[in-house]
Amino acid sequence: MAVFTICLLNGASFGCVLFLLSSGLSLVLGLMGILNLAHGVLYMLGAYIGWTIAAHLGYSFWIAALTAGFATGVMGLIMERGFLRRLIGLPNEQVLLTIGFVYIITNICLWIWGSIAKPPFTAKFLTGAFTVVGWPYPYSRVAIIVVGLSVAFGLWWLQEKTRIGAIVRAGMDDREMTKGLGINLELIAGALFFVGAFLAGFAGVIGAQLIGANLGHGLDILLLALIVVVIGGMGSVQGSLVGAMMIGLVDAFGKILFPDFAMFMLYFLMVIVLVIKPTGLLGRKL
Amino acid sequence: MNQRLSTAVPYLIAVVILVALPLVLQSYYLSVATMILIFGLFAMSLNVIFGHTGLNSLGHAAFFGTAGYVTGIAIVTYGVKSFWTSAPLGILGAAVTAAIFGIIALRVSGVYFLLVTFALGQLLWTVAEKWNSVTMGRSGFVGIPAPDLGLSFLDLESPVGFYYFVFVVFSVCYYLMARLHRSPFGYALQGIRERESRMRALGYNVWLYKYIAYIVAAVFAGMGGILYAHFNGSIAPSHVGFSTSALGMLMVILGGAGVLWGPVLGAALIILLQGFASLLVPARWPLILGALFVIGVMGFRGGIGLHMVKTVRRVFSRGSNQG
Amino acid sequence: MEAIRVEGLYKSFGGVVATSNVSFKVDVGGRLVIIGPNGAGKSTLFNLLNGQLPLDSGKVFLFGEDVTHLPLHKRAHRGMARSFQLTSLFPELTVMDNMMLALHGLRKSRFNPFRRTGSYSTLRDKGKDLLSLFDLWSKRDEQIKMISYGEQRKLEIALCLASNPRLLLLDEPSAGLTTSERQVVMEMIRNLPPDIAVIIVDHDMDLVFGLANRIIVLHFGQIIAEGTPEEIQAHPKVKEVYMGIEEGNGNA
Repeated sequence: MAVFTICLLNGASFGCVLFLLSSGLSLVLGLMGILNLAHGVLYMLGAYIGWTIAAHLGYSFWIAALTAGFATGVMGLIMERGFLRRLIGLPNEQVLLTIGFVYIITNICLWIWGSIAKPPFTAKFLTGAFTVVGWPYPYSRVAIIVVGLSVAFGLWWLQEKTRIGAIVRAGMDDREMTKGLGINLELIAGALFFVGAFLAGFAGVIGAQLIGANLGHGLDILLLALIVVVIGGMGSVQGSLVGAMMIGLVDAFGKILFPDFAMFMLYFLMVIVLVIKPTGLLGRKL
Repeated sequence: MNQRLSTAVPYLIAVVILVALPLVLQSYYLSVATMILIFGLFAMSLNVIFGHTGLNSLGHAAFFGTAGYVTGIAIVTYGVKSFWTSAPLGILGAAVTAAIFGIIALRVSGVYFLLVTFALGQLLWTVAEKWNSVTMGRSGFVGIPAPDLGLSFLDLESPVGFYYFVFVVFSVCYYLMARLHRSPFGYALQGIRERESRMRALGYNVWLYKYIAYIVAAVFAGMGGILYAHFNGSIAPSHVGFSTSALGMLMVILGGAGVLWGPVLGAALIILLQGFASLLVPARWPLILGALFVIGVMGFRGGIGLHMVKTVRRVFSRGSNQG
Repeated sequence: MEAIRVEGLYKSFGGVVATSNVSFKVDVGGRLVIIGPNGAGKSTLFNLLNGQLPLDSGKVFLFGEDVTHLPLHKRAHRGMARSFQLTSLFPELTVMDNMMLALHGLRKSRFNPFRRTGSYSTLRDKGKDLLSLFDLWSKRDEQIKMISYGEQRKLEIALCLASNPRLLLLDEPSAGLTTSERQVVMEMIRNLPPDIAVIIVDHDMDLVFGLANRIIVLHFGQIIAEGTPEEIQAHPKVKEVYMGIEEGNGNA
């Protein structure tokens, strides 16, 4: 029973990290039709920048998280404004471009931070643990859940209750029509891209409390994010949250129950969902 | 008649150069040339579905790697001696995989197709990594010897012998793909790329064409994988997964999907650059590769191969106009 | 002998009804023209006949056979050919390549992965005949994106004839053409073999009344009038629907 609860909490906390990462990927895919495979390296970049600011230089963890997010947000903006928007209507080329950035950013991270992984780090006041069902449970993980769910709520509120959210949803359903209404969809799309990239870097720092920072993350976390987006659904906050939680739980329980099969299971699930309901469990029609 | 001659001449020149290469190059560079032919074959196979048919697949290496693994396992684990047995087994492995994957992947299109092919490729990658008893796991399947053709005069252990072997296989495959390109089937693939709805209205079973093309492309990719397994003596999970698929895609884009030999050019470019980089700035090669991706996609629309062809055509037509 | 018969066709998209209770038949040799204001559902109807869109309900019979659930490409093999309102050619390929693709469409040879397309001499001759008929032979080696719009529209129709169809669906054949080009297209349709059945959707009243021996008027996806050209011209409901929509309508 204790193991179950711990696994549940672990799954939920990792799920929150995944949510922070995947929401950006999902929304950009839904609105702009761009599959940004570089999203994973933005996470990784964020984790490294956060490490430098918080663990290496000793500044506040939350400042590190926000700064990292801002840096990756800018990086994302450069990617979108400088390159992706010149390839409108060419989805194949766009994907390949993002692959290029994966290589570039990964290598830059190697150049700056070296090949040795950075261990997990957290805010000073978050070191320490609760006692949950007789086991110690880190404050940091609980904090992740709190942060993740708060952001999820905020994004959902933006999506459902604000005008901007309505515009984004309209843009996903019918791009031409929305633009025809005089709305500057390009600007909003760019802003969305920034937000997504920001969240990726932010997630990198948040997640670094669990897995630190290392070069393999660029691809590993991307793969998980893709699975989240496919299973949970593209283009919606709720989809990303549900998908992320599912993957987080499968990962947490999988590590205990069937460690070698966990990845295989996830890809298998991904294929099944793609074939039966390509838009995912809670996704919008693309 | 003149037209036929003019298209044949460049090929003849290329063949002569390729055949004469071992006389000029040292064994290290000859290995590089061999690698170029092998990956050129892989990239060309991807072009069958990507350039000709318009299907963007991020999991093509699955067939390259699978064939390599099947061939390796047949030879090392099961003691199959002859190349003439182990190679068809490898090809069969690639074909069966494609037959299964094709049914799944072709249910969707666009971004979803990209994601499904990606996921399927990664699925096989996890199998290669985890199924230690069969595939030797993460470190790769090693111990694959040179192919045994049963021909005593050809020493396939030497770089020169192996180079000629690869050259022959490459040429045969190139020829077959060239015939395919010019055949009614090949044109139908192009038609599907350009306007699927029209093709259906004309009476073509579009799904069937895509499915067959997918399998044919897998077979050629598999051939490349078999050659690579023998060349390298080993095959690893990375040869099944995303990184090799993306590399192939880059070769096609850089070299040009519109010309048959474009992908080979792309392969040459990347492999040569990788060679230079490993001498001068080995740690920065991925950075350069990434930059190549960006440049290739943003800059050379249609690939370098197409630009070369257009330039040559312009030069020659100007010449004849003045005549 | 009827070429095509449809019964009770119904199609809606979400809440919007595009086609409602459409039934008609065309005999072999018939020349049916479907007219109606924009948004009346003419192209949707064609897509339903063709098989490009699945029906919600209703039946389609082709030469007596129920083809309602037959996939698009199989209908081509049953003798149906269709041109598209938005030019639907293969832009990167040459005129001759386009024609060869159309010519191979119903033949076993379309699966041949080895023989050069250019070596099919009988087909090439047929292609030459068809292209010459439409005055396109001289442009045979040009890419589609290089020829004029009028030439593209002509090729659009020429491709339909490649399969020796018994039923021809022409979707706005005169769209975007100059007056003289329209005359040419009208002549070509008039000269089509009499044993082919033709259904045309168009707006050009000269073409409509010049070619049709039967007219159907669609409005909001329903048939509001059907009859000979004379009957339609005198039909009160038709005048009501078209009043103010088609000004300068010399034939009304």
